[in-house]
Amino acid sequence: MTQAKWIISASLLFLSQLACATEKVVVLSSYPQEVLTPFEEAFEQAYPQYKLEILWRQSRDAMNYMHHPHSAVDVYWTPAQRNFAVLAKEGAFRKLDIDLNGLPKKIGGFQISDPDNYYVASETAGYGMAYHPGELQRLGLPVPTDWKSLKTPAFEGHVVMPVPSKVGYAPMLLDTLLQGYGWKDGWSLLEQVAANASLADAGATFISDDVGSGRIAVGITMDFFAVSAIANGKPLRFTYPEKVGYSPAHIGIFREAANLDGARAFTRFVLSEQGQKLLFHPDIRKLPVRPAVYTEKPQGYFDPFAAAQHASGNYDLAAGLMRQELVSALFDALITRHHAALKTMWKTIHQAEQKYPNDPRLQAALQHANWLPLTSDQANDAALQQSFIKRNENTATLEQQWDTAIAMQYAQATQIAQSISGALQ
Amino acid sequence: MKRISAAILLFNLILSLPSAAEESAITTDNTTREAYAQPISALNDADRLTFFKGRSLIHQVWVIPPSENREIAGLGPLYNRISCIACHAGNGRGFAPSTPREPMRTMLVRLSIPGADAHGGPNPHPVYGGQLNENGVPDVPGEGRVEVHYTEHSVTLSDGEQIMLRKPDMTFVDLAYGNFPPDMMTSARIAPALFGLGLLQAVPESDIVALVDTPKPKGIKGRANRVWDVEQHKLVLGRFGWKANMPTLRQQIAGAFIGDMGITSPLFPDENCTSAQEACRHSPSAGFPELSKAQLDASEFYHFALAVPGQRNAQDKDVQRGAALFKQAQCSACHVPQMLTGEFTPLPALSHQTIHPYTDLLLHDMGEALADHRPDYQATGREWRTPPLWGIGLAKKIEPRAGFLHDGRARNLLEAVLWHDGEAANAAQAVKKMNSSDRISLLKFLESL
Repeated sequence: MTQAKWIISASLLFLSQLACATEKVVVLSSYPQEVLTPFEEAFEQAYPQYKLEILWRQSRDAMNYMHHPHSAVDVYWTPAQRNFAVLAKEGAFRKLDIDLNGLPKKIGGFQISDPDNYYVASETAGYGMAYHPGELQRLGLPVPTDWKSLKTPAFEGHVVMPVPSKVGYAPMLLDTLLQGYGWKDGWSLLEQVAANASLADAGATFISDDVGSGRIAVGITMDFFAVSAIANGKPLRFTYPEKVGYSPAHIGIFREAANLDGARAFTRFVLSEQGQKLLFHPDIRKLPVRPAVYTEKPQGYFDPFAAAQHASGNYDLAAGLMRQELVSALFDALITRHHAALKTMWKTIHQAEQKYPNDPRLQAALQHANWLPLTSDQANDAALQQSFIKRNENTATLEQQWDTAIAMQYAQATQIAQSISGALQ
Repeated sequence: MKRISAAILLFNLILSLPSAAEESAITTDNTTREAYAQPISALNDADRLTFFKGRSLIHQVWVIPPSENREIAGLGPLYNRISCIACHAGNGRGFAPSTPREPMRTMLVRLSIPGADAHGGPNPHPVYGGQLNENGVPDVPGEGRVEVHYTEHSVTLSDGEQIMLRKPDMTFVDLAYGNFPPDMMTSARIAPALFGLGLLQAVPESDIVALVDTPKPKGIKGRANRVWDVEQHKLVLGRFGWKANMPTLRQQIAGAFIGDMGITSPLFPDENCTSAQEACRHSPSAGFPELSKAQLDASEFYHFALAVPGQRNAQDKDVQRGAALFKQAQCSACHVPQMLTGEFTPLPALSHQTIHPYTDLLLHDMGEALADHRPDYQATGREWRTPPLWGIGLAKKIEPRAGFLHDGRARNLLEAVLWHDGEAANAAQAVKKMNSSDRISLLKFLESL
C-alpha cells in the first residue's frame, strides 16, 4: 500500500468511526422502567447520534444530587412538580428555546406548565377511582361516580386509599380535594372516606393487586395505574370524579447541560407527537399534554382538554406544592395515626344519624368529628410550611399536640353519637 | 439396573401429556401481557407480601451511589442495564439488536480467555472481566459497545418454502480499556424468561442425572454440567443459564445483580471491577453488600412463586397432532415433556408437582453453527442446555420482539428449530421434511405451550 492510500484508508476509518460514535444525553428521572424503555428505544431510533443515559433518583434524592457541585445532567424529566419549581427558582434551568406550539400551559383552570417556559409539562395523570365491577355487583354496591359516593356507610371496608406521606402522588390528590371542596368540607370528606377505607402505603401496586384481584372493591388512585392494568387484562374500570385533579410531570434542560443539542433533541422528542403518542402504550397510559394527539387515542381514553371544557374551578398549584408536607402531616394526624378511632367515630355518627336524624346533639358530635387543629390560613403560613419541609423538634411537638387534641375530639364525638343511639344511657 | 430404571423414568416422563387439572396449583390461565408475572395460587398472606417485595425489587430502577435511598442504591460502577425488567420485560425473554447501531437492550456478552478459573469455570479477561458492561457511572467509562451484524442464508423446506435464517457476528467498538486479545472468547446471551425456575430447582438432582443414562434415539446424548456453588463451596449440578452454568436460582439472581447491574450481594460481595479498572475500583459503593440478604431472599422467593402459564388449546386437533409430531421428530428426547418435583422446603407448594417444562436440563452438542466456542465448566463451545419450552407460545405477547436461541438470532420458533444441529440434526431434518400441514400443527403445539 502506498503512503497516500494508507492515509486515505486511515482517514476513511476515522470518519466512519466518527459517524458511528454516539453522544450521551444524561437524563435525571424517577420514571419506572415501563415508561423509560419505550422512550429510550424510540428516541435512540429517531436520533441515532445520541445514547440516552438515565440517572434514576427519587424526588428528594434528585434534589440532593442536583445540589452536588459535580452533578452532570442534561435534562430533568420526571413527575416531581415541586422539584421543578424549586430548581427553576434557583436558576438551574435554561429557558426552553424549542418550539412549544401546540402545548397549552393549562388544562382548564389547572396550570400544568411554567408560565416562563423554564420547564413544561411532558404528560399528566388524573386522580379518580378504580373499581372492580364484579366485586361491586357481588356486594350490591353502586358504581361510584364521585368522591362523595365513597363516604356512604355502604362502602365501609370496601375502599383503599393512599397515605400522602408514603405515596408520592397522593399529596396532590389530597390538596385537590381540599381546594376543590374547601378546607373544612374537604377534610370532612376525606375523613369520612378514610373511615370506610384501608390505607395503602405502596402507591404503585395496590390497585392491580388489591382491586384488580377483587380483594377490595374500590381504590382511590391515579388513572394510569388502573388504566394500564385494564389494558393488560385486569377486570377493572376507572372513573373520574366531578372534580378531577391532575398531577403533571415536567421536562426541563439544565443551564449547565454538557450536551445541549442532545438535551434539546430529547426534550423535543418527548413533547413531539411521536413522543406524546408513546404515552398511549398499554404499560404507560399517561395523558398527553399535546391535545392534537388525542385524535389517535385508544378507544375510551380520557381526554383532559375535552373534559375541561365542561368543568369549572381553578387550582392554585403553587399553594398546593408549598403546603404538601404540612397537609400530609395533618392527614397522618387526623387519619393515619387515629384510623381505628376515626372509623369507630364515623360509624357511630352514621348510626346515630340514621336512628335519630333530628337529634340536636348530632351537631355537637359533628363539630367534634370535623374539628381541625389548623385553619386554612394557618396551613398557608409559609413559616409553618417550611418547618414541615425541614422537620425539627418543634414540628414533632406540634404533632404531639395535634394527636392529643384529635384523640380527645374523636372520643367526644363518639361519646355523643353513642349517647344519641342509646348505647350510653 | 441403572439403565433400566433410567429408561422407566424417561418412559414415564415422555408418555405423560400435560393435564391442566393436575397443574392448577402452580400454573396460571392468564394469557394477557402479564401472564409471566402471576403468583401461584397457594400463597398465604405473608407469602404474598414477600412476593410483592420481591416483585418491587425486580421492577426497581437502581440508583447510583451515593444516595439517601440506601435500600435501592448500588448501581454500577459498571453495568449493562438499570433494572431487572429492563432486560426481562414482563418477566419475559429478551431479543437481539436487529441492526449494528442498536444497543444491546436485553442481551449481554460473556467474555473469557483460554484456561479456567480456580473452580473450573470460564477464565475471565484480566481487564474486562467475565462480561462486557457497556455502561459506567459518571467518571467510570463504560467498557465498550457491541455491533451485531447479520449474514442471512436461506433454508429450503421439503415443500419448497424458503426460510431466511440470520447468523450474528459481533464487532466490539469503543473499547475503553484497550483492544481485545485475539484469543478473547465471547458469547452473546439474551435474557431468559423468569417463571418456572423454582419448579426446575425443585426437581431432584438424581432425576436429572438419571436422564443422562436413559436410552435415547441415535445420536442424542446429554450431559450434566457441574458448576461451582459459591454458598456450598463445591461443584454441584448446573441447572440454570444457557449452558447450565448456574447451580441455583439464588446464585443466578445474585449473579445477574452483580454481572448486569453491578449490585453486590451476600453471594458476590465485591464490586465488578478488575484490578486494571482504576476509576471503577475507586467508585463508591452503596453498602456492604448493596443488596441485603433480606432483599435477595425476597427476590428469590418472587422467582420461586411465579406461576407457569398452563397449556392452551390442548384439545385442539392440530395441537394434539403437533404434540405427536413433536415426539415423532425426537424433539421430546431432549425437550422432556414431564418431570416430577421433590420435597422443596423453601416453598412447599412446589413440592411433589407434576410439571411440564419440556427440558432435560442437560447439555447437548448443538452443532457448529450455534457454537460459541467458549467452554463454561463442563459445557464445550458447542454444547447448550436444553431450554424449557413451557410458556413459549406467549413469548411474543409479552415482548413482541422476543428472540429465540441463546443469542436471539431466531426471530420465531420455526427459525429456532431450523438452527438445531449436532445431536438435534435428525430432529431438525424431520421438521424440514414435514409437509406444511404437519409443520403448522407442530408450530401450533409449540404455540400452545
